[in-house]
Amino acid sequence: MRYNYIKILSTQVWKDTFQNRSTIYLVAMMFGLLLFGIVSGVKSYLFQQETVKHYAHEVRERWENSPDKHPHRMAHYGYVAFRNKYPLSFFDFGMESFTGNAIFLEAHKQNTTNFSEASLSSSLLRFGEISVAMVLQLLLPLLLFFWGFGLVATGRENGTLKILLVQGVSWSEIIVGKAFGLFKLAILILAPTLLISLGILLFLDFETSKIDVFIRFLLIGLAYSIYFWIVSLIAVLVSATSTHPKTALTTLIGAWLIFTLVLPKMALVLGQYLYPAPTKIAFDMAIEAEILKQGDSHNPDDPHYKALKDSVLMAYKVDSVQKLPFNYGGFVMKEGERLSAETYDRHQADLMKIYEKQQNVVRYFGLFNPYLALKNISMALAGTDFATYSDFQHQAEKFRYALAQKMNELQIKFISNNVKNSADKNAILSNKYWKELPDFQYQFIGLLAVLVQEYTSIIALLLGILVISIFIKKYAHTFKVI
Amino acid sequence: MTRLLLLNFIRSKGVLWGLGLLFFTGLLGINTGKQFLNKYQENVTQTAYNQQESIKRNVKYHPKEIGLLLYYVKFGLVNEMPNLAALSIGQRDVNPSVQNVTIRFLEEQKYNTDLLNPLYSLLGNLDFSFVLIYFFPLIIIAFCYSLLSEEREGGTWSLVLSQSANPKKLLRIKILIRFSSILLVLLLLFLVAKFYLNIAFDVPFLAFMVVSILYLIFWFSLGWFVISFQQSSSQNAIVLLLAWVILTVISPAISTAFVNAKLPVSETFQTVLDSRDGYHKKWDLPKEVTVQKFFKHYPQFAKFKMPEGDFNWLWYYAMQQMGDDEASNASKQLQLKLRQRENLSSTLSMIFPSIHTALTMNDLAKTGLGNQLSFGEQLVKFHEQKRLYFYPKIFSEAPVLKENWNIFPLEYYQEKKAVNWLKLLLPLVILSSLCGFWGEIRLKRL
Repeated sequence: MRYNYIKILSTQVWKDTFQNRSTIYLVAMMFGLLLFGIVSGVKSYLFQQETVKHYAHEVRERWENSPDKHPHRMAHYGYVAFRNKYPLSFFDFGMESFTGNAIFLEAHKQNTTNFSEASLSSSLLRFGEISVAMVLQLLLPLLLFFWGFGLVATGRENGTLKILLVQGVSWSEIIVGKAFGLFKLAILILAPTLLISLGILLFLDFETSKIDVFIRFLLIGLAYSIYFWIVSLIAVLVSATSTHPKTALTTLIGAWLIFTLVLPKMALVLGQYLYPAPTKIAFDMAIEAEILKQGDSHNPDDPHYKALKDSVLMAYKVDSVQKLPFNYGGFVMKEGERLSAETYDRHQADLMKIYEKQQNVVRYFGLFNPYLALKNISMALAGTDFATYSDFQHQAEKFRYALAQKMNELQIKFISNNVKNSADKNAILSNKYWKELPDFQYQFIGLLAVLVQEYTSIIALLLGILVISIFIKKYAHTFKVI
Repeated sequence: MTRLLLLNFIRSKGVLWGLGLLFFTGLLGINTGKQFLNKYQENVTQTAYNQQESIKRNVKYHPKEIGLLLYYVKFGLVNEMPNLAALSIGQRDVNPSVQNVTIRFLEEQKYNTDLLNPLYSLLGNLDFSFVLIYFFPLIIIAFCYSLLSEEREGGTWSLVLSQSANPKKLLRIKILIRFSSILLVLLLLFLVAKFYLNIAFDVPFLAFMVVSILYLIFWFSLGWFVISFQQSSSQNAIVLLLAWVILTVISPAISTAFVNAKLPVSETFQTVLDSRDGYHKKWDLPKEVTVQKFFKHYPQFAKFKMPEGDFNWLWYYAMQQMGDDEASNASKQLQLKLRQRENLSSTLSMIFPSIHTALTMNDLAKTGLGNQLSFGEQLVKFHEQKRLYFYPKIFSEAPVLKENWNIFPLEYYQEKKAVNWLKLLLPLVILSSLCGFWGEIRLKRL
């Protein structure tokens, strides 16, 4: 392969494309949409950040300023965790419109994460949203197909292809050269977009690791570049194997539809069929049935906790819980919280496994579909994927558990066994203890975990290039000249 | 001539493929709907059973205090879904169709969501409405873009001109044949859906079919309009494809962004905090204060005296009531904002046939935001009714075992909404006629 020829061929593609009147309008439209995507992405990021910051502060204030009271009341007063957006979320909205934004955390109970954008929107949302990622993943390939469908087929039709080959240019050089020209057009649109995004990132104020954000951003740029290289190669290959430019166009548009609209939904149908997820009611029922068997930890006379009581009394060599050196009610509740949280965690983990398998079906589809592979990688890097979301839920649950147990421990340590109930004067604890509970701070998952999570999609994208390259090397010389 | 044109059409390459593809994906869409319907029904049956079991179990565990019992007992309300919903799932996969609530404060319960895999919500369902809105126009485009230009490019047009006095008639017959073939596929799909999904043949179903047909007519009119410019096949194809991308991908997404920017919802978190504090802070206040507030809300209960002691259920439920009362402002504002969002989306949709069709279908199938909001309002009424039923029993400490606990089956809500024909028809009819007539005028100079 001679670099010189590739350069000439690719420059030709660039020149020809810009000779067409419509090109400048189409490029302008692309930039218009991308700018629109950037602006609405940044706006929604800032809005969410501000709202979350405001309300998270409010929650903390209200928690710390709660008056002196029985710690278990505090455990029920609880906390609210809000979901932060990752700085790169303005680039790719991913599944954020479908993930909840606030979760109420209290003792004994695992609440759902509520208020997803989708639950507050009309079904208009289901048509999709304009984000930079959407324009680049979905619309730019269509444009590249449009620019690329005739690159070889037209030459064959008007005979210039023949001349080119006679002059000693090889088939692989033609394909790579023309694809490179197409790729340069993609970069013409990608590069400014990335530059503007980078500029925004430099100005955005965020608490998460800066290095992580910039490396992720770099990888996003890399992933999209690979994607456009694959798309360019596909366009030129289809053009080279079609008898007429018209057939090439139809094939490419058909492929675009199948890859972006049909296959993703097919993956979903198959995933739901193979790995059906339980309904909320079935999920709750299963947990409730198990927890009922564990007994009622609020009731110190509960038969299920009798064995526990006997062993504690034996260990401390006393004959009644009132004589224990610590608060027995708190001790039982601590045990109850542990048991119920364990049960919940187990069921939740099972559910996550099902979702993970459903996701994997989509990832495997990505092996044959660069669009899906890139979509997964892009979401993961932008922090708007499922792993980030479920990690948020996991951290919120960990915080909830810590809160409940902290309050139980305060009760065990400071509340006498002789108080009648939580309204008793002796059952009231100073509010200085509330501050001991650290604030909820969501920590985004690290870059390495993200990459490990999406290894299938990364392999898929790289494999795509490899397969196409081998194909060109092996079969390009057999393509028809006339 | 019609017969020959028909033969010509049927024998052209790709026609049967195109129609077959539509039919096949349509069937897939109908089957997706069937699965969804089954899941919904399974969910309802399970909830109904669970509610009975749970009441029985709780009565057994808490036979002494009705106040304590009602802390646990859950009552379910189903947002009834017509079988038509299977054709247009809308937001029903995101919003729960069954809500289970205790008589404790509702604000903490009513926004609870179902379990869902957000990736799957993002990818979206391959239901019938998706096939109709995205795929049918594409095949229409494929059938129409070269209606006139293929004759020109194939050299047969001069033949037509020299032999026929009315060449436009030929074009009309050609487009009618194409329309009939696609309409046939659509009607066939409706027939399958009617029986496979057991859809009632009622006004909403009729309206659903009408809007589907009008949507197809719109695309044919647009095709007619584009043809009337008498450009080359490839030019027509590009223009129509661009129209498709703009109507089904870009304009809905821009509309969403517009609605979100115009009506940002920031009230959600406020309702959470208000209701949470509304209830929990009352633990730290003297009981009388809360109970007086409660009596002010419900003067009919002022006759009940608060029992002595550190804890009593009158006080407890008065505190719970405050959770709703103190969040009612924020909550009302939230509801209002969501209604506004729904209305703005619906207004915007008037200019975009794709969005209009989708939103209308969801409306007819009771799967849109409007339905969800009505259900939310009904849930408030349902919850209030349960409260009013049980409050006097709790305050008078009615014996649990003397109550009839069998009278609380799962309840159903069915949204009553007449079909607004004018709004349904007008946008599509106007836009189709506009394209059709304009094309007609341009074609005069044939």
